[in-house]
Amino acid sequence: MIKNNMVAMILAGGRGSRLFELTKKVAKPAVHFGGKYRIIDFALSNCANSHISTVGVLVQYESILLSSYSARSSTWGLDSKGGGVYVLSPREKDETGLGLYNGTADAIYQNLDFLDQEDAEYVLVLSGDHIYKMDYEKMLQTHIDSNAEATIAVIEVPKREASRFGIMNTDKNDRIIEFEEKPKEPKSNLASMGVYIFTYKTLKKYLREDAKLSESSHDFGKNIIPAYLNDKLKLQAYRFKGYWKDVGTIDSLWEANMDLLKDNSGLDLFDPDWKIYTDDVSNTPQCIGSKAEINNAFITQGAIVNGKVDHSVIFSGVHVKENAKVTDSVIMNNAVIGEGAKLNRCLVADDVRVPDGMVLGKKNSDEILLVSKSLIAKAGEENE
Amino acid sequence: MSKVLGILNFEPSYVYVKGIEDFRPISAASILGRYRVIDFMLSNFTNSGIDSIKVYLKNRPRSIVEHITRTSYNINSKRGKIHLLHGEQEFGNNDLFNVDIQAFRTYMEFVDVENPSYVVIAPSHFIFKQDFNELLNHHIKSKNDITILYQNSNNTDQEFLMGDILLMDDRKKVTGFVKNRGKHKAGKVSLETYVMSTLTFKELVNEATMTSSLYSLSDIISDNCKVLKVGGYLHHGYCACISTLKAYYDANMRIKNERELTRLINDDWPIYTMTNDSCPTLYKPGAKVTGSLVANGCQIEGTVINSVIGRNVVIKEGAVIKDSVVLPDTFIDKNVKLECGVVDRLSIITHIKDLKGTKEDPIYIKRGDRI
Repeated sequence: MIKNNMVAMILAGGRGSRLFELTKKVAKPAVHFGGKYRIIDFALSNCANSHISTVGVLVQYESILLSSYSARSSTWGLDSKGGGVYVLSPREKDETGLGLYNGTADAIYQNLDFLDQEDAEYVLVLSGDHIYKMDYEKMLQTHIDSNAEATIAVIEVPKREASRFGIMNTDKNDRIIEFEEKPKEPKSNLASMGVYIFTYKTLKKYLREDAKLSESSHDFGKNIIPAYLNDKLKLQAYRFKGYWKDVGTIDSLWEANMDLLKDNSGLDLFDPDWKIYTDDVSNTPQCIGSKAEINNAFITQGAIVNGKVDHSVIFSGVHVKENAKVTDSVIMNNAVIGEGAKLNRCLVADDVRVPDGMVLGKKNSDEILLVSKSLIAKAGEENE
Repeated sequence: MSKVLGILNFEPSYVYVKGIEDFRPISAASILGRYRVIDFMLSNFTNSGIDSIKVYLKNRPRSIVEHITRTSYNINSKRGKIHLLHGEQEFGNNDLFNVDIQAFRTYMEFVDVENPSYVVIAPSHFIFKQDFNELLNHHIKSKNDITILYQNSNNTDQEFLMGDILLMDDRKKVTGFVKNRGKHKAGKVSLETYVMSTLTFKELVNEATMTSSLYSLSDIISDNCKVLKVGGYLHHGYCACISTLKAYYDANMRIKNERELTRLINDDWPIYTMTNDSCPTLYKPGAKVTGSLVANGCQIEGTVINSVIGRNVVIKEGAVIKDSVVLPDTFIDKNVKLECGVVDRLSIITHIKDLKGTKEDPIYIKRGDRI
């Protein structure tokens, strides 16, 4: 383990509006995932497992749940003396008054005093809404060895999908020579994962200058990285191999959950050396009834299954009643699937009660059906 | 509210759970897939608002110390305390002298420091759900000197053997105890849970010490039924006394459906236990699981029928587990057939393909065994 003073800053302020009702009252990083987790558990557990002791979580949109959740540092073992998880929300300041976070770079800029106070040498900037397991300590080693001012984690994506990402063009030593945001004709297939390590002194200077520019959108990808490249600072690419997924849409959130059913998805939650930690809720063991039929499922404690579950992920406290049939679906916390209900390719939001006998979703549908309380209410009206 | 101290007693000498107990006190044994036996009584205390608890330990404290210190039983960590008291030199070698009274006497100064008005003494080898506040209120209202929790059983020739049976008169006053030697089908079974004032508790401990070094708390209470006002308080619902391997097996197997499970454990009466940070359980294609309780972190390819499966258990394809209790971190290889068994932690079953016990006499596979 290298002695370092790297402070992690997790950008967790976004709404995630493409998740619709799931993010109506909670910020996207607090959305449930994989049976027992919340999305932000991955970034926080990665930090803990990478021996990072101080983590700032930058919140803004619907932050009550996310803030109280993140603040319990002990959940991830991040409660050492001198370290911890610090929830950083926009605040009123003496000179500038109350200001919201206006872009990713602005969010860090507004917390330079926090980074100063923590005596940061390196700053690790992360997104709070990605599912992956990564050792940031190895990435820091690359950053130090290559003498870079900034190191950006990249992952190879299929060429035809490259135009959806921020693409890094590198030389033979993986030094970044060009950055293109969602290029129409991508020159490489190295996509930015939104994971950056910056040498703090330099970053501070660039953030301060960027803050002065009224035309800047104060964004790492759009402004800070181009400014670094423009000034010919050394930017290094860090190649990541493994599972990584941005779960920004209902379809991708469903897909990432379904990946947990595969043997070879690359996301191994069973690995005892890199556990993903989460809130410890007092739940009963999984109760599988005498008439239950389970074929390929990922089920967590507190779930009660009396019906049929096929190729699905079942979260804490879910109740699948007799003769219900759940296929290719994700059922989130405390949802109840009524007797004889049939679900196919659905993502059922927290606390939703699917009435007895209701049929939702279709086999081979193009899109995953988000089953929310309002959808159930509407379906109920139509039936009347 | 008067200050109440919770006392968790260690198991009396009639408790012997073959195999399981060779490795840890019964209070530390895994139960219902994800708990330890002790979690139920400690959660009874904390759910009842009793946040000062003394846990007396007889021997081999390692597993209990580790479990309790790493579990949050939901008490204020500054104002409340779970205090572990285990023998240092005076007791521990000879089980005969290892009675609870000796432990109480040795550590009485720690009870004095707390200066509680009442003590609630509960056993560590029982599993039941009981609000001790209700018990205490009844005790105060009825002006008893001692109140004992009991349950009516129609099965005393099979269960609760060598435990205490309460003799009661028609005014619900306890007149004495007899040992349950299994001769009668029905009886009022003592749940070895007592409420009394601290003063009475100290007097009983002194009196027992002077009477005989073999005397236990239940002996001295039984003696005093003639001079003190000893009352009973009836308990309803699930109750297991884990005194033998069969009782341990039955305690696991008795919860058959979610109604029984959620009556014992629910949001209003959670049972706290240590988190292991295991991921959910993966039921692979081909797995067949019915009528079972399953903990997290398992990978199941085979068949599981009417069983209790602990954390991080691997069950390979073709394996069939029926009417069995499988403790955490166990590996069951392809095509193994297991029926009416108790498989202890960390064991690996690969070569022996057929393991069969009976419901009366379940087969036990040793902790860490490779067979």
